[in-house]
Amino acid sequence: MKNEQMMVVENKTIAAKTHELTLSGPLVDAIDQPGTFLHVAVPGDDLVLRRPISIAAVDQDVGTCTIVYKEMGVGTGRLARSRAGDQLEMLGPLGEQGFPVEKPQVGEDVLLIGGGVGVPPLYYAACELVKRGVTVSVILGFQTAAAIFYEREFHELPGCDVRVMTDDGSNGHPGTVVDALNERPSPPDWLFSCGPRGMLRAIETHAAHPKTNGYVSLEERMGCGIGACFACVCETGDGSSYRKICREGPVFAFKEVVL
Amino acid sequence: MMEKEPRLQVTLPGLTMKNPVMPASGCFAFGREYAELFDLSELGAVAIKGTTGEARFGNPTPRVAETSSGMLNAIGLQNPGAQAVRDEELPFLAGYDVPVLANVSGSTPEEYVEVVQTLTDAPNVGAFELNISCPNVKEGGIQFGTDPDAAAALTAAVKQVSTKPVYVKLSPNVTDVNAIALALAVEAAGADGLSLINTLLGMRIDAHTGKPILANEKGGLSGPAVKPVALRMIHDVRQVTNLPIIGMGGIQSAEDVIEFLFAGADAVAIGTANFTNPFVCPTIIRELPSWLDYLAMESVGDLRQQGVNI
Repeated sequence: MKNEQMMVVENKTIAAKTHELTLSGPLVDAIDQPGTFLHVAVPGDDLVLRRPISIAAVDQDVGTCTIVYKEMGVGTGRLARSRAGDQLEMLGPLGEQGFPVEKPQVGEDVLLIGGGVGVPPLYYAACELVKRGVTVSVILGFQTAAAIFYEREFHELPGCDVRVMTDDGSNGHPGTVVDALNERPSPPDWLFSCGPRGMLRAIETHAAHPKTNGYVSLEERMGCGIGACFACVCETGDGSSYRKICREGPVFAFKEVVL
Repeated sequence: MMEKEPRLQVTLPGLTMKNPVMPASGCFAFGREYAELFDLSELGAVAIKGTTGEARFGNPTPRVAETSSGMLNAIGLQNPGAQAVRDEELPFLAGYDVPVLANVSGSTPEEYVEVVQTLTDAPNVGAFELNISCPNVKEGGIQFGTDPDAAAALTAAVKQVSTKPVYVKLSPNVTDVNAIALALAVEAAGADGLSLINTLLGMRIDAHTGKPILANEKGGLSGPAVKPVALRMIHDVRQVTNLPIIGMGGIQSAEDVIEFLFAGADAVAIGTANFTNPFVCPTIIRELPSWLDYLAMESVGDLRQQGVNI
């Protein structure tokens, strides 16, 4: 975990209100697991909370990492206006439990399901899996055609099978990621997912097969981002304890926590 | 490790502080996470997370929401319980050269007494801070913090079992008259110091759904937005008592600390700003000497003296 000023290399709009920010700085050296995130300080003194944004890609050779975020309000709006050469303060990488990309073996059925801005950490996971020779299938869910991003990037990964779903049917297949999941002939060996809580809940329910090793990445409003403030806790699946999403997550195995 | 600055030292009941800066209760847990970022021995003290008799899970999420120059929280006093704090958290903090201000909460006076009994002989607990003003729990907390008689009775009960000095953390969710009455009531009951302010009760609503953002609907407002309220209350309470005051509410910078000391605080606690900048406490401590130079003051105590006279 480091806190440092990172330099904006590029900031571009990749879909409706969705932006991809590429950053450089020594902090990149510490990024080694898909699912981890950066806690981004918004420029200006009036916004007191940092924004947790998951890491979409890392390029250790050139020393950059990429984050993707949706413009939701004043804070993300300010991030969207940052330009190449600007400095942004980042704390990270945060989260001790990311997607276990080292576990799936070549030849196993690995399925990644992303919804909206839940897609970016799965792209990082897919890149790491492909690097190990593991091929992946991807289901991407968006509300509408204008919201779609990273479809081409996934297609460009060797052996990657991509299926895009839109709620309104304006692009790809009409329906939800759960509809696509249900159409698959057999349960996957590995399933990694990130997206809205309701989507994750549905996936955990529909993919609860003994053969499937399932993992979900959770989002929550955070205070400190490092485990001190107890803002982003969730109950463990057996109801006996709790986990801090920022610290002990953000990725959890199916049933590890209550979704 | 920072150099020791004698000019920054503050001696309060139970708390011999290298400097007047501590993280505020609830914003720093028990220090483990921030210890990964800087040496906790640099701090004047550490105010630990509000501790209850048994472990508490707290409120449903979302528990935080951002506001204009501030934030709302409704954590709901999540903590591992007094015995676990005694056995697991205080020994960790004992590894650092920093006194602990143990924040105590409860649903009943008996629970406050129980927590204090459990923690009072822990060697690194310098003093207690009674949280009688948490707006985020249904039972306990604020009900003790708005009634001077109840606050005084609770203070007296805790003083009977405590071997350490007791500070009482006052709420801003009262009238001016009541704030003064509360301060005087707990002083008469034996309080060794005061902490003020706790958070202001607030609310935000999601404009897209019409529903409150916090699962608890309402929460405690903190951050720079509350700073003027905190300064006003510290100033007003300072006019009626000489008890030591730990001031807090929206402090983000060394300049803010100077304001609080001028208003009559003896030391300060920093809460929300730790989330904005995890290094805010050591940064402020480093900047304080140049503020003393600028003001031609020998020590932080001089500022407090000046403050009494305004």
